[in-house]
Amino acid sequence: MQTNTIAPSSAPAAGFARYWQYRDLVRNLVIKDLKVRYQGATLGFLWSLGNPLALILLYDFVFTHIFRSDLPNYILYLVIGVLHYNLFSQAVSQSCESLTSASGLIQKIYFPRILVPTASLLFTLALWLIAILILVVLYPFLGGVYHWGLLLYPLALGLYIAFIWGIVLTFSVLQVELRDLKHLVEIALMFGFWLTPIGYDIHVLKPTTREIIALNPLTQFMDLFHALLYAGTLPALSHVLIATAWTGGTLTVGTILFRRKARHLVEDL
Amino acid sequence: MLPAVLVEHVRKEFILRHNRAMGLKTRFLALFHQSKRERREHFLALDDINLRVEPGEALGLLGHNGSGKSTLLQIIAGILEPSQGRVITRGRVAPLIQLGVGFHPELSGYENIFLNASLYGFRNRDTQKRVKDIIEFSELAHFIDTPLKNYSSGMQMRLGFAVAVHLQPDILLADEILAVGDQPFQEKCHARIAELRAQGMTLILVSHSAEQVSKFCDQYVRLDQGRVVEEGRIDKSVVASISAISATM
Repeated sequence: MQTNTIAPSSAPAAGFARYWQYRDLVRNLVIKDLKVRYQGATLGFLWSLGNPLALILLYDFVFTHIFRSDLPNYILYLVIGVLHYNLFSQAVSQSCESLTSASGLIQKIYFPRILVPTASLLFTLALWLIAILILVVLYPFLGGVYHWGLLLYPLALGLYIAFIWGIVLTFSVLQVELRDLKHLVEIALMFGFWLTPIGYDIHVLKPTTREIIALNPLTQFMDLFHALLYAGTLPALSHVLIATAWTGGTLTVGTILFRRKARHLVEDL
Repeated sequence: MLPAVLVEHVRKEFILRHNRAMGLKTRFLALFHQSKRERREHFLALDDINLRVEPGEALGLLGHNGSGKSTLLQIIAGILEPSQGRVITRGRVAPLIQLGVGFHPELSGYENIFLNASLYGFRNRDTQKRVKDIIEFSELAHFIDTPLKNYSSGMQMRLGFAVAVHLQPDILLADEILAVGDQPFQEKCHARIAELRAQGMTLILVSHSAEQVSKFCDQYVRLDQGRVVEEGRIDKSVVASISAISATM
């Protein structure tokens, strides 16, 4: 029989097993969001393709007709960047309101709070997996090469998702205390797009600009994706290590901050 | 025997934040305007509460609005953390602080059953085994595949209650929720609670109705301003004890 002790700053009992018991809650929350989101829209899930497709067409127009880029297979380069940046920006901006909008649940019943922002991330990921079909279908036509390195792509994506998860956890609890955060984050995400090598090649930049851009963790991840999916090579070890360090950083900050704040979440909502 | 619920020296202090600064603007203005500054006040909601409920027993928590009974229930449910003291529960705790937690109006009644049950930590396949009984109990078979937004509030409560009492909790924490639906349905709910109690379920019932407490519970505790002011056992054969409780209301 399960025994629970509720006391100030008692260590949460049997960490992972406890979360695992609630796996169907996460599943049901994600399915609920998916069902509700496209309810009544004739094209349904196809709409999750609409936004990235429109963005790609727009940027392709801008970067090939207005600012010229001399990258070969430019559209492939662009599609990879836009899709992966979209995953980041949608997950992060959604996460800000995940806890505050779930206050009805949190105040009425106990369940591991970390599942709320996690379900929000998985929901974004589910929509994104539909969008990534664009890339899978178009890959050979855009000049993508099939090579053994592609098998490493799931690992790179996993690392990226872990990095995003850390940020999602951090922002979801900070939003509870600072309700301006969401608006700041949305502006930051607009800047982030241009401060990440998505539509341009980092090597065409001046050395100082390049160093500034390299401070952006997303630059490191973009390099992994561009190496594996666009250039058909393995990413440089240094980029892999820097990306891993960033992931370790966001996960540490996210989980520690979340655990600390989750205790008093109900009172602050 | 080990108690099902043990509450030891529980104290809960809330921080009342007057003029709480939620955004940057208010935080900035507070630098210059004394009146816009956040004032914090400590509010003692519960002070040194001790309770012991044996398995299968039913405890009634009585008290006026703001006496701390709902706060105590939230602490036992694990939603709030006590400032001091501890609570030990043995078995699956099902808090019924609101019926149909997590119900989404756009989903069908059927889908909402699974969503609601998973909030109590239930796997979908375990809910699947009970879903027929839940639908039958709620008397909503005809509407179960329509969106919840088309349900009346009484129908939603019926569905929420049906889910909660079919999850076989060891400890049911109920906050004023035993008045569900019309008279016949209420009687059905009461019968179901009695049936679960007969199977050994522990019940903690928050109510301001002494009559309801005396109907369901073996013992009662009365809270006032966060302290236990009265406690005792309910002897069902003696009607006088009921009127004695009622008299103090």
